Amino acid sequence: MSQDAPTSTVDGDVGGGPEDLLKSRWAETEANIAKLFGTDGQTRRTSQKPTTASEAAATTTTSAPDNAKTPAPPKRSARHIDDDYGDDDDEDEEDSPKESPLRKKAKIALPNGIHPLAARSPLPAGRALPRAAPTSTPSEPAKSSEDVRKQLEEDKRTAEEAATKSFQSMYYTFEHDKDAMVEQQKLDELDREVENELSGGATDAPNAQQGAGAGPAAASTQGTLGSADLGASSLTLKHLIARIDMKRDMVRASDNQLRTLISEVRKGRSKWASEDKVGQEELYEAAEKVLMELKAQTDYAQPFLQRVSKREAPDYFNVIKHPMDIGTMLKKLKQLGYRSKRDFVDDLNLIWANCLKYNQDPQHPLRKKALYMRKETDKLTPLIPDILVRDRAEVEAEERRLHSIDADESDEDDAPIMASRGRKAPKKGGSKGGPTSTKRAPTVAVEEAGSATPAPDMKPPLPLSATNLRTETLRAESEVQDASSAGFSTPPPGNATPLGVNGVNGSGAPGSQADVTEVDGLGNSVVGSTPEDEDEEDTEFKTWKQVTKRDRAQAAADRHRLFRGEQLKNLNPEEPALIRTKAMMRRWTRQQMAASGKPSGQAEAGESAEEPEQPAQGESLAEGIEKDQDSTLPDYYSSLSAIPELDERFRWTTDSEGAVVPQTEEWMRMYPKEQFKSADGALNRKIEDNMRQMQDTRKICAKIGVVKQMQIQAQTYQNQFTKYEVQPFIEQDVGAVVVSEDGPLMAPWVSRAALQRSVGKIFYHAGFEDFQPSALEMITDLAGEYFGKLVDAFKSFREQPKAEPETSRYSYEEQVLHSLHEHGLDLEALETYVKDDVERLSTKLGVVHDRMRSHLADLLRPALGDHAGADGVGAFNDGSEQFVGGDFAEDLDEDFFGFRELGLAEELGLENLSVPLHLLQNRMHSAYQAAHQGPASTTGLVFPQPDPYEPITIDNVGAQVGLVQDFFREKLHANHEDALVEDEDLPQKQRFPKPRLPPTGKISSPRKRPIREQQQAAKKKRKMEESGKAGGVEVAPIGKLKLEASVGKGVNGVQEPEKKREKGGEEMEVDREVNGGGGEVNGGAGGGTMISPESLAPN
Amino acid sequence: MAEARAKYRTEITQMMFVSGETGDPTPETTTMIEGIVQQQVMEMLKRATELAARRGVRTISTDDLIFLIRHDKAKVSRLRTFLSWKDVRKSAKDSDEKGGGGADAGGVEDFDLAANDPTLGTGPNVNTRTSKNKKAKVGLPWDVSSFYTEQVPEREDEEDEEEEEMNAATLQRLKQADERTKGMNAEEYLHFSECRQASFTFRKGKRFREWAGFGVVTDSKPNDDIVDILGFLTYEIVTLLTEEALKVKATEDALKRESGGDEEKRGRKRRREPGLFDPPEEARTPVSAKHIQEAFRRLQRPDLKANYMKHIPKGTWQRPLKLI
Repeated sequence: MSQDAPTSTVDGDVGGGPEDLLKSRWAETEANIAKLFGTDGQTRRTSQKPTTASEAAATTTTSAPDNAKTPAPPKRSARHIDDDYGDDDDEDEEDSPKESPLRKKAKIALPNGIHPLAARSPLPAGRALPRAAPTSTPSEPAKSSEDVRKQLEEDKRTAEEAATKSFQSMYYTFEHDKDAMVEQQKLDELDREVENELSGGATDAPNAQQGAGAGPAAASTQGTLGSADLGASSLTLKHLIARIDMKRDMVRASDNQLRTLISEVRKGRSKWASEDKVGQEELYEAAEKVLMELKAQTDYAQPFLQRVSKREAPDYFNVIKHPMDIGTMLKKLKQLGYRSKRDFVDDLNLIWANCLKYNQDPQHPLRKKALYMRKETDKLTPLIPDILVRDRAEVEAEERRLHSIDADESDEDDAPIMASRGRKAPKKGGSKGGPTSTKRAPTVAVEEAGSATPAPDMKPPLPLSATNLRTETLRAESEVQDASSAGFSTPPPGNATPLGVNGVNGSGAPGSQADVTEVDGLGNSVVGSTPEDEDEEDTEFKTWKQVTKRDRAQAAADRHRLFRGEQLKNLNPEEPALIRTKAMMRRWTRQQMAASGKPSGQAEAGESAEEPEQPAQGESLAEGIEKDQDSTLPDYYSSLSAIPELDERFRWTTDSEGAVVPQTEEWMRMYPKEQFKSADGALNRKIEDNMRQMQDTRKICAKIGVVKQMQIQAQTYQNQFTKYEVQPFIEQDVGAVVVSEDGPLMAPWVSRAALQRSVGKIFYHAGFEDFQPSALEMITDLAGEYFGKLVDAFKSFREQPKAEPETSRYSYEEQVLHSLHEHGLDLEALETYVKDDVERLSTKLGVVHDRMRSHLADLLRPALGDHAGADGVGAFNDGSEQFVGGDFAEDLDEDFFGFRELGLAEELGLENLSVPLHLLQNRMHSAYQAAHQGPASTTGLVFPQPDPYEPITIDNVGAQVGLVQDFFREKLHANHEDALVEDEDLPQKQRFPKPRLPPTGKISSPRKRPIREQQQAAKKKRKMEESGKAGGVEVAPIGKLKLEASVGKGVNGVQEPEKKREKGGEEMEVDREVNGGGGEVNGGAGGGTMISPESLAPN
Repeated sequence: MAEARAKYRTEITQMMFVSGETGDPTPETTTMIEGIVQQQVMEMLKRATELAARRGVRTISTDDLIFLIRHDKAKVSRLRTFLSWKDVRKSAKDSDEKGGGGADAGGVEDFDLAANDPTLGTGPNVNTRTSKNKKAKVGLPWDVSSFYTEQVPEREDEEDEEEEEMNAATLQRLKQADERTKGMNAEEYLHFSECRQASFTFRKGKRFREWAGFGVVTDSKPNDDIVDILGFLTYEIVTLLTEEALKVKATEDALKRESGGDEEKRGRKRRREPGLFDPPEEARTPVSAKHIQEAFRRLQRPDLKANYMKHIPKGTWQRPLKLI
């Protein structure tokens, strides 16, 4: 027995105390069944039969009539005798988790021969002697009473199920969990207290110790002993399971069967079991459960958990003579202080009655609680089987005696026997339990009996007359109770006749019947109104709190354990890691499925259909059992379980050498190209065409600018014009990006850059050749925000609540149009943009481009219009052909004005890169007007280039005209016999400036000197002026020539030669000045070649 | 107050007449119109000044003004036509003064009329003008040609689509005017053509400047072009208002006829269908102030475009006056 209890904790390990054991086991088996056979009531009910049948050798079945007919009851008693040897069979039978507790109790009641309904009519007297009169048992009333219980239990369960279901669809915050935890802790403390007291005071009673043996172990020493036992037992089971798993194919049983079997094996024996107390186990099981249920109503039960202390209410004990509380009751229960249902129920009602009595004020909050609790009590009490605990010896003796008695008399005799039993029983209880507790119960009973009316202080006048079927049957129970347990108030003869029993009941049965009837009364009047005033919380929330209380407390405690330190800010490293389990995951999926609105049957069907597959997927039996832990909590309480299976590719796997296998590689892929470029659409193409067009036009513009500039400026330099570089627009895509899954690339800055580029494109398209970065940034931000809002609107239209479940509220077109409209756009505006700002712009650009082109052409080839030849040769008819064919461009092969670079060469159609005349009008007219005035040939012939003049050397000087031969010879001599250089070919600085003839044709100013000479002359002049002033020489301001000549021959004549010697160049300069004037004149008259001044210089 | 302000009563009446209001509008009506026009003009000046200030210039230019109405493309193109004709007139005058071409004199006189009246658009002497007088297009800074650094002369053969559109709009107006004048006798037509010349600015420069708040709203000395543009725009505003008000009134009348109950209903019934022997239109009641008010309200209705940044919080933001 003691071994059994820990065994049962294997699966009930979540619960801390004995009540947890019980409850969890129950819930667990319930869930197991549900899983195995589907949840709907029908299948479950039917499914119970096979399981019970299979689990036990006994052919006991669930329904009462069957029971009555089968030979089970005698067997039952026999088995009770066998209990010494710890026979597993009846344990299974008794705790059979497949059955609703009610039925269980009913069944339990049967073997003991105290069927609750037995006393109702004279007929079932045979109940006490089942073996003697099995056939005579009336099945009908039994059934009805059974049904009521079933009904009650079913109601409760369905309510709970409904509530549980609703939990999935509703989010409850965790904020009440702490309260739950604290309350639970209080409850546990209470239990411990009870246990402590018991273990301290009731050692003499072997039964009590035995009963409490499992209890304290689980409750008070929960931490060490329980877990040790638990570990050991679970270990053994695990071995078994492993074994089975190993030899799975040899075991001829389905997984389900095995699972059931194992869960059955693990069931522990009740701590209340006792071999020489018939009916004790059943009664106490039920009673304890009721007590636990009541205790679990923490919101209400709280004040009744402990004895009222004098400190709390000094005058309490003046008012209340018989204090009672749940704690005391528990203690009493553990001490086996109850002998019958009535004792127990009386005590319970005493608690509420006390409260109501003490707190007379109708507004008192405790009153509400007490009333509520009383209602609950009344709901629960029918669950307790009406059993009188008796000694086995007595029962057996009775049976023996009955054997001898005729069956006809049995009903007559039955009652006295019961009465005698009832009379004896308290004695027994008294001898076993603590003296105080046993005493108390009778006294209460006596008191109530004495007052004859059911406890006026604790109950309002009872509507006894308003009994319905339910109360009827319940009354039957209480009758039995009266007749059996509380029988001492009525004489045995009264019991002898069934009528008498009823009569007694009607007048003197205070306990349960009163309660039951009150249930209805209260249910209609008081209780009906209570929920509103006593609790603002809605009923759903209340159910939630009640149903899940224990689990929540557990969860909160678990959570609590994870933290430590002040404020609970630090994680507790000692705690085991939170690990996700498959079972939890399954549970989560199940709940999800249930919550997703699928009909439960369907979900279950799917579940059960999956079930056979799952083991095949390598799920071991152990895992299957693991899932048995079921709680009422919704899935979000175990957040761990909601983590789906890790994708294979993300797993951290190592190969045999411990190196990490990089499995991600094969899932990696390149992000598709072109995602960050504008898509290739008709509009985009048009825009790009426009932009290209603009670029081309700009190019032409630049050329026009160059040409215009050249016309204005006298001199152009190669680097004067910056070339307009046309760079095509290329949209850069992002670099290679590796991603592991589909979907857009989330890179805000990249996206922003892409948007910025688009904005820039639009800018350019709108005519801005360049723009400030700040403007670009600004517009990008605005556009980004605008698009964000647009998409927001689109989303909200898209996710509008749907009129029908499947179809969206708006069609796609409507969604788009609505969101556009929301933000000030419509199709018309978009179309206008495309039409006006893109298409029309394109034509306008084309027009402007043509205009530019023609303008440029006009600029370049003004004469090309009418009389130019096919090849444009006529353009040179203005006499520029020598110039065009001139040596300087072609021969030097020089890109004079950078035309080639500027790309004008092609525009001009000039292969030889010479400069057309009209480009150089300015220079030509100024420099060579005279030279080229005459020839205005209209033929279009191109004259050959004349040979250049041969330079005069010492050899060919003789060929010259005799008059100048000496002159040339002198020149040559001065030039060291080298060939004379033409004036034109002189270096720039030595060259004379080009003679410029004013429009008047008169040479008004002397020829200018080269730049360097001018500077030197200026210097010299200054010097001479100074010396002239010093010398007092009158200087006539006639001109430079004269002045210098006079100076040279005059005052400073002595100095002059020195100077000459010192700076020969300077002296030459003076001379050249003289000759220069003549040279200029010559040049002007003679034209063509000019002789360099050096050659004229005197030696 | 109203009397003190009413400086353009005759002009407005004339403009309204040209725009289709045959009756004699009450002083209240014209005063209201005047007020609206004044408000519009001042607003325009204010915004143009702001635009100019943004460019760093204190005096407003024609571009600033045109920029304000840039979205009304038809109006812009009409305005451009008007301006180009103005140019033509100027140059024609110059050349006339110089050349003293007597042959052109008559044409120029006609021309003055036409140029002053934008609705006429292309005047009767389009073909007679010399190449020198050819109207030059008024370029706008946001035109395509301004995309480029070089300005090149236009070629003759280019015809803008926009110009065509504008011509279409102008032609439409001309057609309307033609329809109206069809049945007129010489006297009436004379009156009509006189009315067409009504202007807020023409030969009333000083009055207009005071009225429009030059020196108050904008501290610049307006040049002629700006005053002319404003004159043109005010004309447009009055026309638009009158047309809209007529529409309002027509709707109202229709409603009245539908519902009956009006005492002049009986008298009107006969005239519902325009018949051969209908009395002249003058018998109709002129548009009243309330119609003008409603028309103004309708014209002030914000564009859809105004929604586009509505998610940006603006605080106590008042929708700006819409230029009509």
